[in-house]
Amino acid sequence: MIAKRLRFKTSGTTQFVDITEQLRGEVRRSGLRVGRIHLQSLHTTVGLAVNENEPLLLRDFESLLERLAPSGAGYEHDDFARRFDIAVDEPVNGHAHCRQLLLTGFTTVLVEEGDLVLGRWQSVFAVELDGPRSRQLAIQLDGDFREISSPRSGEVARSAGGGHLLPSATVAQHLVELELTRQLMVDPDPVAVPMRRLVEAGGKRLRPRLVQLSAQIGPKHNPLRAAALAAAIELLHNATLIHDDYVDESTHRRGRPTVAAMEGAERAIAVGDFYFAKATRLIAEIGNGDVTSTVAEALEAICASQIDDVALRGAFPGDHDSYLKVVRGKTAALFAASCASGALLSEANPEAVEALRRYGDLLGVAFQMADDMVDFSPSSGKPVGLDIRQRVLSLPLIYAAEDREVGPEVRRLLAGTLGDAEVERVTELVRSSDALQRVGDEARGLAEAALRELEAVDLDGLRPTLVGLARSAVDRNS
Amino acid sequence: MTAQALVIGRELDRLDGLWEDGLSDTYRSYLDVVDSYDDAVQPKLALAAALIEAGIRLQGLGGRAAPAAALLMGDLCLARASRLLADHASQDLQVAFARAIEEMSAAAASGAGGRPVRDLLVGAFESGR
Repeated sequence: MIAKRLRFKTSGTTQFVDITEQLRGEVRRSGLRVGRIHLQSLHTTVGLAVNENEPLLLRDFESLLERLAPSGAGYEHDDFARRFDIAVDEPVNGHAHCRQLLLTGFTTVLVEEGDLVLGRWQSVFAVELDGPRSRQLAIQLDGDFREISSPRSGEVARSAGGGHLLPSATVAQHLVELELTRQLMVDPDPVAVPMRRLVEAGGKRLRPRLVQLSAQIGPKHNPLRAAALAAAIELLHNATLIHDDYVDESTHRRGRPTVAAMEGAERAIAVGDFYFAKATRLIAEIGNGDVTSTVAEALEAICASQIDDVALRGAFPGDHDSYLKVVRGKTAALFAASCASGALLSEANPEAVEALRRYGDLLGVAFQMADDMVDFSPSSGKPVGLDIRQRVLSLPLIYAAEDREVGPEVRRLLAGTLGDAEVERVTELVRSSDALQRVGDEARGLAEAALRELEAVDLDGLRPTLVGLARSAVDRNS
Repeated sequence: MTAQALVIGRELDRLDGLWEDGLSDTYRSYLDVVDSYDDAVQPKLALAAALIEAGIRLQGLGGRAAPAAALLMGDLCLARASRLLADHASQDLQVAFARAIEEMSAAAASGAGGRPVRDLLVGAFESGR
C-alpha cells in the first residue's frame, strides 16, 4: 500500500480539473500492476467525478450544478449572524457545499497491467466548487506491485530501513541514482562538481529507464549491469548537454545555471569531454561489444546532427524533412540505442532488439516534438519562447511559418532580430494557429507507431510499462 | 586508390577538410605506433588516434575555448574515434584511450598543464596491447 497526497491549484470558481494523467503517473511511479487507486477529497467543496473531458459538456455540468444549487439562493449556511465560530475569511459558499453533496467525495479506479482501467471517453476529475484555491486529494494505491518486472529481475526488494516493500521499478531507479552518485564521487572535483550539479538537478531519466526496461527482456537479465549501463548512458547524455548549452549560449538548464554560464566555456568543454570519455569507458568495461558499438554509433549520430542543427539555423525555422533528420540524430539516436543496448545486454533475440530499437527511434522523435511544444506552454515552469530566442529547430515554428494566415508574419519576425516583443508575438501567433495541435497529433501518432513496433515481440509482461512510458513522453507539459 | 585509402575515405564523411589540414600527417605518424597490432585494424586505430588529436585541438581543450562550430566538429572527431575503437579495438585498448581523454580533460578542467596528447595516446596504445 502506498499513501500520498495529490496537490493542485484551481483557477476558476467552478472548475473541472482533469487529474487522469497525474493518476497515471502515480500508478506508473508506484509500479502497481493490478489493484486500485483510491481517491478522497479532503475538502467539503471539492467533489470527484468520472466523465468525458469535452469542454462543452463540462459547461453543461457547470450549468446543471448552477440550476440544482444556484449561487446566492439564500442558503442558511451563509447567514453568518446565526452561526458560531466563523473564521474571518469564511466564504459565502452554501451553494458549493450543496453541489458537493450532488457529487462524491470518494472514488476508486481500478488498475490493470500497470494502467488505469478507464473507458475510451472516461477521465477522472477533481471538481472545484468554490475556487480558486490550493487543493489536495488523498490517494492510496493498493494491490499487486510485484508483476511489473519478470521474476528473475527480483520482484520486490526491502527498503534500506527494512520496513515496507519497494516495487522493483523504484528499486531500479534507485540503482541508477546510486550508480551515478558512486561514479561522481570518485572523479576529480573540477569535473565532478559541475556534473553533480547537473545530475542532481533532476531530468526525466528516460534513457536509463529505457535501458533498464529493455534489459529485462532477454534471458540474461542482470539488474546491476543494467544499472551500470543506464547510468553511463545518462552521463553521456549529460555530457552532450553541457556542450550543447555552450553552443546554444544557454544560461540555465533544469532551473540551474549551465556549466558554461557558471564556470566558463573552457571548463564546460573539459567537463563534457571528461564524461564523454568516462561514459564510453564504463560502457566498454561492461564487456559487450555489441552494446559498445550501438552506443558509439548513437553518439556519432548525435554529434553529426548537432552540426546540421546549427547549420540549419541560417534557414530558420527550416522545414519538416530537415527537422526530422536532425531530431533522428540529436534525440532519437540515443533513445534507440538505450532500448537496443539494454536488450543486447540481456541477450534478447535479434528481432526483439531491432523492434526495441525502432520503438526507441520513434519514441525519441515523438519526445522531441512534445519537448518543442513545452516551449509554448506557460505552465511548463520554463521560460516561454526560449527555442525562438535561440533559433533552435522547432516543429511548431515550422508549422506556424507554413500557416496560410500567420505564416507570413511569423517568417518576417523570425528573419529579423528577436527581442522580447518579437518573441512574444511569435509565441502568440504559434498559439493562435493550429501548429501546436498538429505537432501534438503527430507526436501521439508516432508514439502509437512506436507501440505497434512491439506488437509482435514477446516482452515478458513489460508491454504496459512501455505503453505508459510512450504515452507519458508525449502527453506532458514540462 | 589503395584499400587503406578507401577505408580511411569512408571514415572522413564531414571531416574531409581536416585531412588536408594536418590530419593526414597525424594519421601517418600513428601508423608507425600501431605496427604491432593486426594489419587489418592498423589504419582504423591510427585514424582513431589522429581524430582524437584533431578533435581536442579543434575544441581548444586546455586552451582558449573554440567557437561553437569548431567545438561541434571536434565533438564529431571524438565520437568517430570512439566508434572506430568500439568496432575495431580490444576492450583494453578502448579503456586505455578513454582514460587518456579523461586525464587530458581533467587536467584542462583544473587549469593544470597535462601531459602532451601524443604521449598519452602512444601510452594508451602500449598499455592496451
